[in-house]
Amino acid sequence: MIEILQQIINGMAIGGVYVLIALGLTTVFGILGIAHFAHGSVSMFGGYLTFFFVVTWGLPLIAAIVIALLVGLILGILIELLAYRPVRNANHINAFIVALGLTMMVEGLNLEFFGHEQVVIPTDFSWVFKIGGVTIPELRLYTILAAALLIAAMTIFVEKTKTGQAIRAVAENRDAAILMGVNVNTIPLVVFSISTALGVCAGVMVGALFAIAPGIGEGLVVKGFAVLILGGLGSIPGAVVGGLVDGGPARPGSVPHGGRNRPDGRNDPKGIRRAGPQLCNACGGLRDLGGGGLRVRHVFGQYPECGCALV
Amino acid sequence: MLTVSDLRVSYGQIEVIHGVSIEVQEGECVALIGANGAGKSSTLKAICGLVTATSGTITFEGQDITNQSGHNIVRAGITMCPEGRQVFPQMTTLQNLRMGAYARRDDEQAIDLEEMMNMFPILRERKHQAAGTLSGGEQEMLAIARALMARPRLCIFDEPSLGLAPKIVAEVGATIKRIKKMGKTILLVEQNSLMALRLADRAYLFEAGEIVLSGTGEELQSHPEVVKAYLGH
Amino acid sequence: MKMKALTAALAMFGTAGFAAEKQLDIGVSDALTGGAAVYGLPQSNAVQMAAEEINAAGGIKVGDDTYMLNVIAYDDKANPTEASNAVRKLIDRDSVKFILGFCCSGATGAVASFIENEDAVMLVGNAAERSITTREIPNLVRTRPPADYTGAAAGTFVAEKGHKKVAVLGALDVGFYASYVDAFEKELNKAGGAIVTRESFGLKDRDMSPQLTKIREMQPDAILVVGYVEPAAFIYRQAVELGIDVPRYGFTSGSEEQFLRVASSEQMEGVWDLRPTELTLLSASDNGIAYHKNYSEKFGIAPSPSSPYAYDQTYALKDAIEAAGTVDDTEAVAAALRALAVPDEVVMQYLPVDKKMFDVNGQAYTSNGAFQWQSGNWVFVQDLPSDAAAYSAFLSTID
Repeated sequence: MIEILQQIINGMAIGGVYVLIALGLTTVFGILGIAHFAHGSVSMFGGYLTFFFVVTWGLPLIAAIVIALLVGLILGILIELLAYRPVRNANHINAFIVALGLTMMVEGLNLEFFGHEQVVIPTDFSWVFKIGGVTIPELRLYTILAAALLIAAMTIFVEKTKTGQAIRAVAENRDAAILMGVNVNTIPLVVFSISTALGVCAGVMVGALFAIAPGIGEGLVVKGFAVLILGGLGSIPGAVVGGLVDGGPARPGSVPHGGRNRPDGRNDPKGIRRAGPQLCNACGGLRDLGGGGLRVRHVFGQYPECGCALV
Repeated sequence: MLTVSDLRVSYGQIEVIHGVSIEVQEGECVALIGANGAGKSSTLKAICGLVTATSGTITFEGQDITNQSGHNIVRAGITMCPEGRQVFPQMTTLQNLRMGAYARRDDEQAIDLEEMMNMFPILRERKHQAAGTLSGGEQEMLAIARALMARPRLCIFDEPSLGLAPKIVAEVGATIKRIKKMGKTILLVEQNSLMALRLADRAYLFEAGEIVLSGTGEELQSHPEVVKAYLGH
Repeated sequence: MKMKALTAALAMFGTAGFAAEKQLDIGVSDALTGGAAVYGLPQSNAVQMAAEEINAAGGIKVGDDTYMLNVIAYDDKANPTEASNAVRKLIDRDSVKFILGFCCSGATGAVASFIENEDAVMLVGNAAERSITTREIPNLVRTRPPADYTGAAAGTFVAEKGHKKVAVLGALDVGFYASYVDAFEKELNKAGGAIVTRESFGLKDRDMSPQLTKIREMQPDAILVVGYVEPAAFIYRQAVELGIDVPRYGFTSGSEEQFLRVASSEQMEGVWDLRPTELTLLSASDNGIAYHKNYSEKFGIAPSPSSPYAYDQTYALKDAIEAAGTVDDTEAVAAALRALAVPDEVVMQYLPVDKKMFDVNGQAYTSNGAFQWQSGNWVFVQDLPSDAAAYSAFLSTID
């Protein structure tokens, strides 16, 4: 029982991050029909920026987050204006290509500015709360609370304010929204700035809880879309439920004896052998463990497809 | 109040409105009638800024609103109740009505909301229901009420009776009559020409992107061409 | 080509009976670029440095002749195909008979599979996969001990600490990490202990709390973490966050700086790292300190802890050639390597088997060390109870 409770608590922090990412993706998708792949990389940019402000400038964490949020807002507006607006009325494949290109650009930007080393945003939150047999690290608790607060704020914004309702209205029926007097040119700007700000928050959380490194943003955006599809595209409650499910019990290792490990506690080689091409654990290169790959690997402990063979 | 002069509209290379001129006076109910594809809806869309006019001018209360963006036209005081209802399906009835007042900044919106629900009691019953789950007739009432929430000076109805059961059509007709009595200026497009002509003070007959006939509602009702082609006796 | 012509000319003089200075080409196949270059490039540098030192000290003396070493290094990118091509090029085109380097198991394994048929001697460095020295290839030796040799020492150490239930969390889909754990388990079982669970993670995983929560429920006496530095650092941190207060052992070889990027010093306090002693200044011999200094001066960067494996290869080769008295008879040189005592110049602290550096399998053994995180630093606490002779006997039983 305690184990299950603990696993739920474990999953809530990262689940909250997924929810924030998914919220950003779902609002953008709802309004513009764009799969905004660059969202994860933009989140990581926010995380890097916060790290930079804290470590290089020595700003307090909150100040760093606030500045990163503001930069995120502006970046979101720029992305909408410069990248997506020019292709808004074109065939959807154009927006798709722009989204992919943008992902590479932002990833490149991150690499250029912040390098390829992984960074962890330093925090002072190292206290651990113990309730019954369940432990909650201070940092995770704050992450969960912050995520909950942001989700609540987002819900209130969308449901209770005119702008929020206009966002929903544009998502549901663009022409009718125009007839209500909604300026459909400014709504995407609002949406992008909000979703980018949420993404920046998620980036900061990932950076403090775990680490920011090249490639993490893409993983995050994939998770975000998985959450969206689980919860229904364009649905905010769906994103919340999907994120928490994905963050919690669905993870490998959190289900007792599931996934890669045999019931007797020994490692099951078949469990490791996931289908299709995948990233090499050592160098990150592509490998395919189907058939020959696995055999050779067992002989010399390496992955011939990616050729990395670390020691 | 509204003057459309020599309006031309094209979709791509194809011109669908070939120089149309319409005049709507304050307090009037003007109907545009004609067959499917005659250009009525395109004219309305051009007025509301949903499609671009290639030439001609549209002025509203002396202000040139030709090719203004849609939300500015709403702010100028023109609201359209679009063809096919176009409610926001996943938003509640109440949220739909509030969206109608989106462009307003005054503090009487709650009063108007109350008034609308008195005018359409069914909307009060359905106020927390998603608009998409309402029946066609209920959605039409919602769409009309939503348009009125903007306190428009000119209210445009695009095919309000389309696809509704005959009993509901009569109800819609009665509703428009009530709105007319409230003193609103109305521009009405209807394929149900008989209903339109009975409601209208004046009417224009569209054929293939041009106005071929105009006159008061009674005049057109008794015009032999109209009787033969559109009223079906 | 000019150099080769010169070599040939010098060789002709040699046959004429002059005591002349000649050139001996030795090859290096290693990862000079790509992800594995962190291991391969320092090895290649180390060979270069050793060769220059040997030349400066008068070269290799064979009979009346003195040979100056010339290093030809090719980049194999740690890729098996590239490594096979590099070695073929060295043997066929450059007529090289002695090939050093080899940081990584995959590339090394590919070359090892055909080197027996070649007129050459292969000296393997940092590649840790055990199977490279299980086939008793006569013309192959390796300076780094296999991972499971260290694992066995670690298992003995942990068992001596009195731990009975050990939970393992590791990058177990990487072959040599799994073999470390297997050997660890064997020694632990001998002392009546057991591994209660083996949890796995990928290199890119950073949230290990699900696995750690599962481990916590099993109430082990100790946990063992095997894997690369970054995930290991997250494990140590999250173990504290989950209130796991049993001793933490690991096999990671990370520096202080690498760990502190992820976990605080308080979170790391008391963690053990059980690994080959390799090059750490805290445990270094005089040779080690000199090596660190010379390498840093020459290349402008501190040497990697494993780079002396290649440095030591070069001195072993020198001694073997001088003992065999030939640069042409590779069989004689290979045999001399097997019979070699540990050279005086080596940096790593080898444990000779039967007073020889390499055993019958061609395998060398270093000492293993227990390092503990104490107030922000890895502190060398003691040698691990490593039994090179017993492991050597065990290695001979495997194909």
